[in-house]
Amino acid sequence: MSTLTTRARTFKPPSRIGKVSTSTIIAAAAIFVAAVLPFFYDSGSGFMNDATVALVYVVMALGLNIVVGFAGLLDLGYVAFFAIGAYTMGWLGSGFFNSADIHIGVAEQLQSQPGIHINWLIVMPIAAVGAAALGALLGFPTLRLRGDYIAIVTLAFGEIIGRIAVNSDEGVFGIGDFNLTNGRSGITPVDKIDIPLVDRFTTLNLRPWYWTALALALVVLFINFRLRDSRIGRAWIAIREDEVAAISMGIPTVRVKLLAYAMGAAMGGAAGTFLGSFYNVVNADQFEFSFSIFVLAMIILGGLGSIWGVVVGAIALSFINTRLIPDVLNDVPSRIGLDFDLTQLGFGIFGFLLVIMMVLRPQGLIPEKRHQAELTGGGLDGGEETVVEARA
Amino acid sequence: MESASIPARPPRARGEVVREFVSKYGLIAILLILPVAYGIQDLQDDGDLSRLATNIKDGLSNGAIWALIAVGYTLVYGIIELINFAHGDLFMLGSFVAFSMIGTVGLTVSSSFVPLVFGLLLILVVCMVACGTLNTMIERVAYRPLRDAPKLAPLITAVGFSFILQNVGLLWLGGGHRGVPDLIESQDVLFTILGVPITHGDILAVVVTVPLFFFMINFINFSRIGRAMRATAQDPQAARLMGINVDTTISFTFLLGGLMAGAAGLIYALYQTDVWFFSGFTAGLIAFTAAVMGGIGNLKGAILGGLIIGIIQQISDNRIGTEWTPAIVFAYLVLILVFRPQGLIGEQTREAG
Amino acid sequence: MSTPEATATPTLPPQGAAILETNHLTKQFGGLTAVDGVSFRVPERSIVSIIGPNGAGKTTFFNMLTGLYKPTLGSVVFDGKNVTTKRPDQITALGVARTFQNIRLFGTMSAVENVLVGQHARLRASVFGSIFRTPRVRHEERDAQVKAREVLTYVGVDKRRHDDAASFLSYGDQRRVEIARALASDPKLLLLDEPTAGMNPQESEGLTQFMRKLRDDRELAILLIEHDMKVVMGVSEQVTVLDHGEKIAEGEPMKVRNDPKVVEAYLGKQG
Repeated sequence: MSTLTTRARTFKPPSRIGKVSTSTIIAAAAIFVAAVLPFFYDSGSGFMNDATVALVYVVMALGLNIVVGFAGLLDLGYVAFFAIGAYTMGWLGSGFFNSADIHIGVAEQLQSQPGIHINWLIVMPIAAVGAAALGALLGFPTLRLRGDYIAIVTLAFGEIIGRIAVNSDEGVFGIGDFNLTNGRSGITPVDKIDIPLVDRFTTLNLRPWYWTALALALVVLFINFRLRDSRIGRAWIAIREDEVAAISMGIPTVRVKLLAYAMGAAMGGAAGTFLGSFYNVVNADQFEFSFSIFVLAMIILGGLGSIWGVVVGAIALSFINTRLIPDVLNDVPSRIGLDFDLTQLGFGIFGFLLVIMMVLRPQGLIPEKRHQAELTGGGLDGGEETVVEARA
Repeated sequence: MESASIPARPPRARGEVVREFVSKYGLIAILLILPVAYGIQDLQDDGDLSRLATNIKDGLSNGAIWALIAVGYTLVYGIIELINFAHGDLFMLGSFVAFSMIGTVGLTVSSSFVPLVFGLLLILVVCMVACGTLNTMIERVAYRPLRDAPKLAPLITAVGFSFILQNVGLLWLGGGHRGVPDLIESQDVLFTILGVPITHGDILAVVVTVPLFFFMINFINFSRIGRAMRATAQDPQAARLMGINVDTTISFTFLLGGLMAGAAGLIYALYQTDVWFFSGFTAGLIAFTAAVMGGIGNLKGAILGGLIIGIIQQISDNRIGTEWTPAIVFAYLVLILVFRPQGLIGEQTREAG
Repeated sequence: MSTPEATATPTLPPQGAAILETNHLTKQFGGLTAVDGVSFRVPERSIVSIIGPNGAGKTTFFNMLTGLYKPTLGSVVFDGKNVTTKRPDQITALGVARTFQNIRLFGTMSAVENVLVGQHARLRASVFGSIFRTPRVRHEERDAQVKAREVLTYVGVDKRRHDDAASFLSYGDQRRVEIARALASDPKLLLLDEPTAGMNPQESEGLTQFMRKLRDDRELAILLIEHDMKVVMGVSEQVTVLDHGEKIAEGEPMKVRNDPKVVEAYLGKQG
């Protein structure tokens, strides 16, 4: 049995170099590296592809972190917001509704194409708002439920949305015959993102994609930091810790929880529009339960509630998924004489990681200073510095 | 400001009673929507209710399978308040064991009656024991260490094991559906009651599940271990103080749940003549809905819920389309959890905080 | 040790305007009646105690006052407004604050953060304002921080402890932080649920004096649930006794203490 001494006794003022704290310096350095990274890689390379996807996952993970990490609401249906974002991009940025003829803010080539073609810069906020509304709507029934029931209800919602995605090529729930999602064939092609004054976004040059994703991630990161250290952030954490005490202190828990759902959903939706365009296809196979767990795993791995932890967790898991398993580890089995494809084990490895994580280090890689105490047993017993034993 | 004496309001107690009444019968009403709607349609189209009755009969047979799985969910939730996400996949592995054992034991469609019965009984035992043991092992490894952790931890671990078990299934029999030899000629009609055909499959479902249910109910209510389980579910601390070994009791609960899942796996394999590595996920959610509908933690509720969900599922499969059935079942799940979390016959569950 | 009579100095007669009034307040849980038709008032700027044997329904009563439980019957009027069906956060916003019998601090937050949460209802920062840190929000946060530390000092928490995680504070400090958190919302009525639990006589005396200070400095009314008779006798202007959910006596401390019904409730029938 190992022993963990909880270090989170006092929130010491951050260490500084001159007037700037060390963590700010590290953060600035990391952002700088991220910004110049594309220059070290081929603009169309697989690495750039993976890196762009990783950044989008950072956005999603930060969104889910608000719901699960800050407010403590077990949301297992996050895929629903990815879906809303992606389908919004599919509906408003492709030839899917080919009888329509709407063009807003798009380049020459698209002006003559049938369908609805609206610039991503406009679609993205629309999708964010739509997702936020859906998030509040889906969150509403969960408000009076206990933790594990919230998990199940959100899971059920995620599945319902997923089923609607798969089956809505002929009406919804058997009503009508309107093709909403085109089922598993999906909506394709999807308009490329088009930012004025920037080079055209193509499949060959991934740099504009990457930098757009980076910008999105930085904006969302900024929002998260500001919210965490604000009145609303404190309210979320209070609710997570002790809802009865929180409401007794004057926090309108219903509104505050719905806000968490809405913000998390908005970020998921925004990320969804990006991926819809990036992948050039939006189809139902992208929206399975395992996606919700994947994003959840990122924030658990990184450290629930810890913003930088979540960023690291998202990047790590994304790369493991897109690079490590398919490219690096894939030849391991054959090298040791076994005859199967490691990608077939993806699921199981992932599940195994989840189990290991929760049993050995539930507080994640970069624990939120607060959460570490919570998960390793720091209690309200007015004791001196507590020596806490980790579970064996 | 001096406040005047405010007259006492009319008894609010009545309000509580009314709400209880409305939610219970509201749930029953919602459950009846589908059967009633299609019953009316049948009367208009065919002039009799035999199609609906057949749906219901099929639903009960299917529902018996869900009920067996639901029992596992409800017992585990009742005792440690954990939703065992991996339970559905355990059932799936049970069906895989059945599939493999059928091949190993050498049963085929041309096997004669007596060896068939003995063979199936043997396979039943193997399936049950395999799943029971696996469930107990999972509890020991994944849930016991996390018993005092915040609820998120064992939940995630359960999901992790769900994925692991699914992957085991994938590696074992591949990603596609595998056909099971139709050993009991499951679709053959034995006799017909009131226009409803009763098939071999229905008989199998009843013959295996009814004794198991009977056994479970009596075991939980009258045996020493059953008492220990109920005591631990109510108050683990007090149970410990009374000399009950809580750890063993919990392990035993998982064992029982696993046994039921194994049995369900065999029945499923024979009844549907099909096994698939992903069947556990949907089965798990359907069975969990059943457990919640009946009243989570309540054994009879799980059985009742399973049968009801089976009927709803069958009606949906037959009338709306199998692709929509999961969505409909999940919609019911949401409705129940939001408006009547205690289910049909459960007690009022604690609300958040 | 000073005698109760010497320290009991009611500053206002209990016939002042009522800050809180309940009328036939009742709570039934299924077949059990926890609180039965309690009519009761707390005068402004007074200190009132509720006492009674264990299980008398005192905390249930409190929970109805703060909106955590919905009464089965009866009404609660606070500061002239009917709050019977209001949510706890609404009641807090109107000016009621409370502490809990078992300390319910936000353990992983620092003492200052706990008190900042206490101010939630008095702060106005919106999501937009928080994200963009408008000047108004910046000032509000800064003022809130200053005020939080002031309140903590006021209740007696050493400056060096202000940024400690609440779960690592000493028991006494935790109790103080809970009171600070309650005071942070600028309440007109403070509900303290067994505030001296776990305290030794000196600490209890300190708290008693502190309560008087609160009442006078901040013109607060204080409603206590207490078991420590010395505290009750020493600080209350009015004592209400509950037993089995019913009010069995009420009035000045000495009068209540000698009431035979009260004695019987605590000690059982005499022979």
